[in-house]
Amino acid sequence: MTTDDHIVFIVDDDARVREALTELLEAHGMRSVAYGSAGEYVRAEKPDLPASLILDVELPDINGLDFQKQIAEGSHPPIVFITGHGDIPSSVRAIKRGAVDFLTKPFSDDDLLNAVQAGLTQDREARLERVEMTALLERHSTLTPREREVLPLVVSGLLNKQAAAKLGISEVTLQIHRRNVLQKMGAASLAELVRMAEKLQIPITLSRRGPESRP
Amino acid sequence: MTTAPDIPAETNPKAALALRIIESVPPFAWSADASGRLTYVSPNALAYLGAPQEDLNPLRDRDEFGWRHVVHPDDYERVAGRWRHCLQTGDYYDAEQRLRRTDGVYRWFRTFGGPSRDSHGRITEWYGSTIDIHDQKQAEAALRVRERELSQLVDMVPSHLWRLAPDGEPIFFNKRMTEFLGRGLTDTDKPGMSRLEVFMQTNIHPDDAAAFREVLSNCLTTGESFSRRYRLRRADGVYRWMSGRAEPMRDEGGRITQWYGLAHDVDDQVRAEEALRQSEQQLRQMIYAVPVRIWSLPAAGGPIAFNKQFQDHLRSVIPNFDDLADPGIEIVMQELIHSEDAPEVWRTLQTCFEAGAAAAMRFRWREKDGIYRWAECRVEPRRNQDGRIEEWYGISLDVDDEMRAQEALRARERELELLVDMVPVNIGRVSPDGLPTFFNKRLIDFLGVDIADLDKLGMGRLAAAIATAIHPDDAPGFTEAFAHSLATGEPLFRKYRLHRADGVYRWVENRIEPLRDQDGVIVQWYGVSLDIDDEVRAQQALQLSERQLQQLIDAVPAVIWCATPEGIPCYMNKRATDVIGLTLTDLLAPDGSRSLTFVHPDDRETFDQALARSFKTGTSFEGRYRQRRADGTHRWVESRAEPLRDDSGNIVQWYGVTVDVHDMVTTQGALLDRERELSQLVNMVPIFLWRLTPDGTAATFFNKRLFDFFGQDPADYEKPGRSPTEVAIDEVVHPDDKVSFGEEFNRCIGAGERFAMKYRVRRSDGVYRWVDGQIVPMRGQDGHILQWYGLAYDIDDQVHAEEALRRAADKLARATQAASLAELSASIAHEVNQPLAAIVANSHACQRWLESDPPNLERAQIIVNRIIRDARSAAEVVSRIRALFRQAVEPRHPTALASIIAEARNLVTEEATRRRVRIEEEIESDLPLVAFDRVQIQQVLINLIGNGMDAMDLSADHKVLKVRVRRIGDTVQTEISDRGQGIAFPDKIFEPFFTTKENGMGMGLAICRSIIESHGGRLWAEDNRPHGATFIFTLPIEEKAAS
Repeated sequence: MTTDDHIVFIVDDDARVREALTELLEAHGMRSVAYGSAGEYVRAEKPDLPASLILDVELPDINGLDFQKQIAEGSHPPIVFITGHGDIPSSVRAIKRGAVDFLTKPFSDDDLLNAVQAGLTQDREARLERVEMTALLERHSTLTPREREVLPLVVSGLLNKQAAAKLGISEVTLQIHRRNVLQKMGAASLAELVRMAEKLQIPITLSRRGPESRP
Repeated sequence: MTTAPDIPAETNPKAALALRIIESVPPFAWSADASGRLTYVSPNALAYLGAPQEDLNPLRDRDEFGWRHVVHPDDYERVAGRWRHCLQTGDYYDAEQRLRRTDGVYRWFRTFGGPSRDSHGRITEWYGSTIDIHDQKQAEAALRVRERELSQLVDMVPSHLWRLAPDGEPIFFNKRMTEFLGRGLTDTDKPGMSRLEVFMQTNIHPDDAAAFREVLSNCLTTGESFSRRYRLRRADGVYRWMSGRAEPMRDEGGRITQWYGLAHDVDDQVRAEEALRQSEQQLRQMIYAVPVRIWSLPAAGGPIAFNKQFQDHLRSVIPNFDDLADPGIEIVMQELIHSEDAPEVWRTLQTCFEAGAAAAMRFRWREKDGIYRWAECRVEPRRNQDGRIEEWYGISLDVDDEMRAQEALRARERELELLVDMVPVNIGRVSPDGLPTFFNKRLIDFLGVDIADLDKLGMGRLAAAIATAIHPDDAPGFTEAFAHSLATGEPLFRKYRLHRADGVYRWVENRIEPLRDQDGVIVQWYGVSLDIDDEVRAQQALQLSERQLQQLIDAVPAVIWCATPEGIPCYMNKRATDVIGLTLTDLLAPDGSRSLTFVHPDDRETFDQALARSFKTGTSFEGRYRQRRADGTHRWVESRAEPLRDDSGNIVQWYGVTVDVHDMVTTQGALLDRERELSQLVNMVPIFLWRLTPDGTAATFFNKRLFDFFGQDPADYEKPGRSPTEVAIDEVVHPDDKVSFGEEFNRCIGAGERFAMKYRVRRSDGVYRWVDGQIVPMRGQDGHILQWYGLAYDIDDQVHAEEALRRAADKLARATQAASLAELSASIAHEVNQPLAAIVANSHACQRWLESDPPNLERAQIIVNRIIRDARSAAEVVSRIRALFRQAVEPRHPTALASIIAEARNLVTEEATRRRVRIEEEIESDLPLVAFDRVQIQQVLINLIGNGMDAMDLSADHKVLKVRVRRIGDTVQTEISDRGQGIAFPDKIFEPFFTTKENGMGMGLAICRSIIESHGGRLWAEDNRPHGATFIFTLPIEEKAAS
């Protein structure tokens, strides 16, 4: 009934709440694992799947909001906060730090499920992004130093002639580099290469009409 | 270059003829000048070479002749060198070389030439000729090859080959022969001696030389072939037998031209033959001379051959033996063999000859003086290669002495056997490897088994014998011991039970000893066993009885000992050894007196003296001392000894027993220690202890602390007419507590119940101190009160400390009450929201399971149960909280309400100022006192005031909060009004968890109502006109205080 393409983590010190949430999620075909404290959650071996984290604010070992701050550094599943008595400042703080939602107990199932789903979707995208980024970085690492010099010039939209002059090489050589870059980066077109460069945050500081390239 | 001189025939007819001759003979002719230039070459030469004469001459340089190209390259240097030499010296030139024919084939030629000189002897011209010698050369080469082959053959054949001149002079020895002799043909030449003579003297063995010479010279003279064996000296000086032959070679005229000889080494053969001959001769001599009688008889028939011994014998027996031409076997037998034995011998021989088999027989035959002696004759056939019998051999030995000895032996053996069988012991014999070989008759009768029967058991004869004859309990020991004896050769001495034929085991004493031959090798084992059954049984009975006694003595859990009348220990039971670790000898000093090392050094002297006294006077002994045990520890023991006297009253022996009393002694010690400890404890613990008589009238014990506290003895309270207890209560208990103490005390004593009370008593210095006292009864087994035990401890400091603590807590509560409700609410909210959240989530899940198709009822059921559980838990939280405020923790004292309102207002003043709220008070004077819990009512006030201020947060101005207190009937009514939004649901706001506030928990008013109701008052809300709300609570006027 439940599917294995995701996981929901529940962290709440109240066993009744853990039990009820697990049940509710399972009733909606969602797989979940529950922990009694933040420490337990941190120490646990967790499956590497798209995930969402339902986090109680009042935890025995640490305040949930502080915990959110603590794990903000690394990659962690999107957080859905739940609390016994929520106050506005806390919820604002949580949402600002990227929480999916901030629910006050007792909450409706729709609110919770929507938030959890949103979290999963967000995590899936983030994961895809990470995979894509890794692949991109890998491909970028195969470029020769010269090709890495060529890439920003090309994606900046400089004409071959301009780019060649910039690097002090012949236009033919530049064309060879440019072809290699496109091939190695797996870009079908210059437009795609530009998108890749954006993702790789390669600075596009030069312009075809930049003062440097003016004849 | 010039061609052949063209000389006209008519000018010089001689010369022309010579030229013609020259040019027509096959040899080539040539001439050259003094420098070697060819001046003429005959036409046949030029035709052969296929070259014009000019080509033969040009001297391209000085060192090369023009004819170089026609000479074989291998030959050129040689002939050119020779030619130059001749040109220089004028020597005659003669050389062989290969010249190339016009078709390129080289053929051998011989060239020779000489100089022609003028009158002054100068060379003017060279004339020469060249002849074809090719075929001759080739034939020569072929011959040389063949000759070499033959020579090799002659040298390599493994025989000596030689050649002699007709007069016998050696002219050739082949290589093998030369090597054998170590020298060649000519090496031995001596002046004045022929070579043959030298050879014979040097190389032929001196013993053979004469014959060799004679035979050879005879052959040389007659021309007959020579054939002879002789010894020839080898290079190393060893003579070897050779077989030599020589044949003459004759020419057509029949004259001998040469002798050809051959010899080969037959040394090994000759020696083998020699050895064989010698051996054969020795054998023959042996047979002839051995001191046995040997005869042989050809199978085909013929005379019997006798060896010398036999012949001598026959001569001495048969008077005319030598006259008998052919002493037939019948005659020999008739004359020789004892008449009693003859038929048997004859029969045996007959059978033997017919069957072709060997035979042996014994018989008596006659010796020279007519006496008969025993002889043994063996007959055997000798067969040829086809297996046919060729000859019969017989050998006869004199066995008379042996036969007689055997006879004597047999007689003795019979005698011995009788002896062995008749002596009343069992006798057996066993082979060196342990096999029983003989049982005497007694043994067989005893066992009912003979040796032969043992083999049938199929387990080895010895094992069978042991299994059959020896009691199973004794068998393994015997087997082992016997195996040991067999291995070492030591005699065996053993007692065991032997199985008699009737099934009864009887003890026997068995002795088995080896019989050794002269070399010490064991030949047999002889065993003798004696029946000792009766003896053993008697001994066993005795042993049993003794053992039982011993066991008895050893089993007694005491050390039992004996001493001589002089007091020297002479016996100790086993227990003594086990316990003390000493044997009897350890109890004796080297001088034979008693040794008391097992007694603790501190006790030793006393013990020794007591013993000595007893031994001396003959009185019983009794003493306690510490005894050293085997493990080194000391234990207390009690020792007693009594003398045993004979009829005349003299002491025969002392009998003593020593019993372990250690535990008793140590327990006593421990008890003493414990009593002392307890007493110390009772006196030293920082409490007061005493003991009263069962009726409680008098103290029987005061502990030291109590004594010190009062500074008086229980005896001091004895006054006439009153019980000491009454006096004591009167004197020491605080006047305020005296009455209640006395009443309670008497009641408890009367009812036999536990007394417990806090009261003040006077210390010896006159100061009263609080104590917590208890008096409990101690009852006997029948429930009867035996004694009363009293206990009291000083709680004066504690009482004062508690008071201080309560005062501090009051202050603390007041300081924190403002905050506590809010904090409480937060935690309450958490407490309640947890189960609520669970309930909600579970409900949804439940709904979900029910909606699914098919509905998962099982699951839903589980969840519903959880929902119920969680709902109950939420309800419990609420009721718990309400109960919390209903409890009257503090005694309620009648108080003026105004004072507490002032306190509450003080607490909120700061916040009101901050929130710009003005608080107006309207409090009726002369209000009656009401009884309430200050802290709780203060919480209600602060909560209501806080609510009012919250309600006006949104109002821009006129933030006025009014507190009004007045009496209405039996109650004091307090109203708190605000100018806020008013109340939408006046009925609901007091329900738990109903809130209109952003952060409200909905608990405050519920709690407030709980508090007020617990005070017997009411709390409600009303709407204000035109706006705002008023919260009103009442508190009943305290009856007592109001009156």
